[in-house]
Amino acid sequence: MTQPAPGPLVEVDGLTFRYRRASDPAIRDISLTIAPGEVVLVAGPSGCGKSTLIRAINGLIPHAYPGEMSGVVRVEGRPTVDLKLRDIALTVGTVLQDPAKQIVGATVESELAFGPENLATPREDIRTRLREVAAQAGIEPLLGRETSALSGGERQLVAVAGILMMRPRLYVVDEPLANLDPATAARLLTILRTLADAGDAVLIVEHRVEEALHLRPDKVLYLEEGRTRYLGPVEGFLRIADPRTVKLPFDVVLARARTGGLAPPVEGRARPEPTATPLPDADAPARLEFRDVHASIGDHPVLHGVDARLGRAEIVAMLGPNGSGKTTAFRTAMRLLPLTSGSIHVDGRDASTRSTAQLATTFGYVFQSPSQMLFAPTVRDELLFGPKNLGHDPGTFDALIEDLLTRTALIGLEDIHERPPLALSFGQQKRLALAIALSLRPSTLILDEPSAGQDHRTAEAFLSEVLAIPGLESIYLVTHDVDLALTHADRILLFRDGRIVADGLPQEVITDTDRWTACNLRTTSLMAANARWGDREQGFLDAETLARRAVARDRGVQGGVEGGTGSRFRDVSTEGR
Amino acid sequence: MNIAPRYLGRGSWLARRDPRVLILIVALFIFTVLQVWDIRFLLVLVVVSVIYYRSAGIPWRYIRRNWTVVFVFIGTLVVVNAIFAGGATAEIPLEDAHVIFTMPILGTPMSAESISLAVTLFLRYLAMATIGFPVAFAVAPADFGVAFRRLGVPEKFAFGIDLTFRFLPSLAADFQTTVDAQRIRGFDWSAGASGFLTRLRRSTPVIVPTVVNAIAGAEDTIDAMDLRAFGTGPRTWLRELRFDRTDRLTLLAFAVLLAVFTVLGFAGITSELYVFPFLLDLANR
Amino acid sequence: MSTATMSRNSLWEVSSRVIVYSAIGAALYGILLVAQVPIPGTTVSVRPAFALVPFFGYAFGPIVGFFTGLVGNGIGDQLSGWGALTSWNWSIANGLVGLIAGLAPMYLSRWTNGSLRDRAIGGAIAGVIAVIIGFLFTFTDLIIQAGQVTVGGVTSFYITVVVADIIATAILVPILVYAWEPVKDRLGR
Ligand SMILES: Nc1ncnc2c1ncn2[C@@H]1O[C@H](COP(=O)(O)OP(=O)(O)OP(=O)(O)O)[C@@H](O)[C@H]1O
Ligand SMILES: Nc1ncnc2c1ncn2[C@@H]1O[C@H](COP(=O)(O)OP(=O)(O)OP(=O)(O)O)[C@@H](O)[C@H]1O
Ligand SMILES: [Mg+2]
Ligand SMILES: [Mg+2]
Repeated sequence: MTQPAPGPLVEVDGLTFRYRRASDPAIRDISLTIAPGEVVLVAGPSGCGKSTLIRAINGLIPHAYPGEMSGVVRVEGRPTVDLKLRDIALTVGTVLQDPAKQIVGATVESELAFGPENLATPREDIRTRLREVAAQAGIEPLLGRETSALSGGERQLVAVAGILMMRPRLYVVDEPLANLDPATAARLLTILRTLADAGDAVLIVEHRVEEALHLRPDKVLYLEEGRTRYLGPVEGFLRIADPRTVKLPFDVVLARARTGGLAPPVEGRARPEPTATPLPDADAPARLEFRDVHASIGDHPVLHGVDARLGRAEIVAMLGPNGSGKTTAFRTAMRLLPLTSGSIHVDGRDASTRSTAQLATTFGYVFQSPSQMLFAPTVRDELLFGPKNLGHDPGTFDALIEDLLTRTALIGLEDIHERPPLALSFGQQKRLALAIALSLRPSTLILDEPSAGQDHRTAEAFLSEVLAIPGLESIYLVTHDVDLALTHADRILLFRDGRIVADGLPQEVITDTDRWTACNLRTTSLMAANARWGDREQGFLDAETLARRAVARDRGVQGGVEGGTGSRFRDVSTEGR
Repeated sequence: MNIAPRYLGRGSWLARRDPRVLILIVALFIFTVLQVWDIRFLLVLVVVSVIYYRSAGIPWRYIRRNWTVVFVFIGTLVVVNAIFAGGATAEIPLEDAHVIFTMPILGTPMSAESISLAVTLFLRYLAMATIGFPVAFAVAPADFGVAFRRLGVPEKFAFGIDLTFRFLPSLAADFQTTVDAQRIRGFDWSAGASGFLTRLRRSTPVIVPTVVNAIAGAEDTIDAMDLRAFGTGPRTWLRELRFDRTDRLTLLAFAVLLAVFTVLGFAGITSELYVFPFLLDLANR
Repeated sequence: MSTATMSRNSLWEVSSRVIVYSAIGAALYGILLVAQVPIPGTTVSVRPAFALVPFFGYAFGPIVGFFTGLVGNGIGDQLSGWGALTSWNWSIANGLVGLIAGLAPMYLSRWTNGSLRDRAIGGAIAGVIAVIIGFLFTFTDLIIQAGQVTVGGVTSFYITVVVADIIATAILVPILVYAWEPVKDRLGR
């Protein structure tokens, strides 16, 4: 759909850049041209230089980020070095990775107006443009709202609208789908596609390739460690891409399996052995039980009667739209938020008889953003904060530390004990947060969005590690990554509008497609594939295992398929609708 | 924890005024009050401030607590002063002061002058507080930036004020999350009535993560502003402020008030501390 | 030095960074003012949040410090319902504290250029100096009392406040410097 264009909007030519503080370049010898009407997908594992490339295109490099730059970036024919950020902004509009941080306005209007205001656009023009953009992005209902009161998805749309207001010719979006529920994600992609069809260009950075493909990109740039691994049409990319790094549609994986193009399964990725004994029978008290729980944040009711039983020995995943109350449900369970009515029971006892700290000895709670609890000067102090607060015996501390660091695979890092926690990398902080949660020796782990802000591989690896942690009986996780949840969980709870609308085995829950879509969830190619090739006994399988199985079945061979990810154990307590 | 600015006066007569009016009036009125030591004139100003305050239509039930705070604050201040005044005032030395009685424990004398002074001081602070209150409840938070801009604050800093309001709710939520995260680790701030130094040090588990994360998280916001050409030249403000007739008249009224009292002040009519006769009688008994 | 993130800028440059840090400082100060630790036996309470003013000044420069103190105190009053402008002179005093702490490189370079430990201590020193000088401005309250009150009364009242804030500063600023500096090197430009 590329229209005949005068010249490319952006030319990146042999670009290499090293950040002032870094020892070696973040990107090396990148070349790329973007013509009007083109859609370019940039993919690659975390830290491969995607955001850096974006900064080079929108002029933050070299104008805001000092460092060592060679090669040249031209915007509409002129090198960015010679242009002012202000001029570049007229051509290149950028939506950053985290919409919550990108938004600078207290209200939706002020956020949309911000760009044009800075360009000294007359008020009247801003007003008219505001109306147009609101319609274009379908956010009229949001006008007049406080940006702080928006859901994650709404925020992302407003952030995009803020860029639409500047009427750039190239839209650069950095991982826009990261925290979006699939429905909102689809909506966003439609907006971008429309822009491209109208002759603007789009450069999108995304891990969730499967979804990004709905944009019908004209070319794909695949980076690894700052270098170009692939640049060209989608088909070629799908042929070379590693399904463990980027999330590919199932049929691609299958095709790969057919041609024997799949790397042999890796240790640790296959589902670990059961780490706990199955729950003997249903009438044994559940680990965590919600009975018609109602709760409000401020004066705004969030939970409208949650009923659920979470077993002692199972992996339960909560799925649901942004703002449906998943996080709130667990905050009430930890008594961080009072109930307005209903009751919560832990191992059969009313939770209100226990303090938050006592509950923490049963539930290890891992927050979405790890750094929000880190304060101590050293990792050791950080880990001992909880045990000390609860007055545990100092004699056991050394052993505890070693155990925690080993279980969370942090022990490897040299002098980890003395490192300042806040200076660890995001991934390391996530493990540390995990270790902290384990420091009170809980039997159950609660993970809020373990996959947020990580690429497919990192997220998968992290979750597999967690599942492999010895001594944990059960794990409850909240996520937007449908496939991640379906492949790892024994049971799925669907949240919507502060209620649980479905509760059952993965392969069962997904059968009711109406309900599924009603929860802003999308039918992934993997779900379709499981319906087609999977079998209920084995439960929901991950792409590779399933692909191998499919191939095996085609060949009429039985067995020889490793790492089946069937339900490990059943918690029969599945009433409570 | 609710830290959202409370725009309680919404829609009231005062809230419909140009925000600059409320800001300027605080300034004008404070200088007016400064001229007045004669409590009889001061009462006039108190009445003015109360009428002005009423025009903000702030529902009493929401701010009963705020007023208590105000009274306690002014109260302590005044009492402390009156006591330390030791029966004298800067202008009237103790020997000329009409001592009524000496405080039991402290043994500091209380004179007709010092008591009158205390009452007067109380009213001065009260009048100022009353005029200042509506700024908290009758100005739309979104209007502060542009208001100060139009009052001559440099553009970037004026926007900085807007940005501050933008950060309030999100940072408060982050703060809440941090508090929750630490509570899960058995941390309870209010607990442990140990010495206040320890209490102070124990604020670090909540303050450090909140502050460090806020600063670290700023990077994207900074980029987002640079990428939308912030501060690269003069900017328009979507919100347009215009003084209407009522605004001008209101301002004029307060300006006149200031003028009048300045004159009276220099004429020495309002600038003398008024000592209540009945106190003098008490003293002379 | 703590302002390394902005080492390319002069102390007085007003970049987006300065504005964002200022706004964050002011907002945090306003928010955290809710968290107070009463000093036994006095009406005054130590405000841990106060340490943010010298810290933001010390870490990000005089402008950020001034804005943090000035606007932050105003916001605090605004949120508590006292009205942002009512105690304008206290807001200015807070601003001055941040400003003076931000000028540390000028009068404490020996510390600010030293090791992390030195910089932390330097923060405490700068903070204390800033509090002592900055709060002199609150004596403008004497104007409101127009010399009618013997200085003894006022001073005794303010001394307690200043002492309380000095304690908060001396304890918390170094802690914040220690926590922030390692992070600083991980991000920024
Ligand atoms: N401001 C900076 N200063 C120094 N190094 C940096 C800076 N920003 C990024 N880097 C480094 O440059 C490399 C590429 O970072 P970049 O953010 O571009 O990766 P990315 O592909 O966007 O990762 P993600 O998918 O997690 O966003 C990383 O090693 C990162 O540590
Ligand atoms: N601090 C807060 N103040 C006011 N409302 C809030 C706050 N936190 C959450 N809410 C509201 O509570 C509702 C549920 O929020 P919650 O975080 O539980 O949803 P969620 O299912 O976790 O969403 P997400 O998937 O985006 O994390 C949302 O409508 C949200 O706007
Ligand atoms: Mg990135
Ligand atoms: Mg959530």
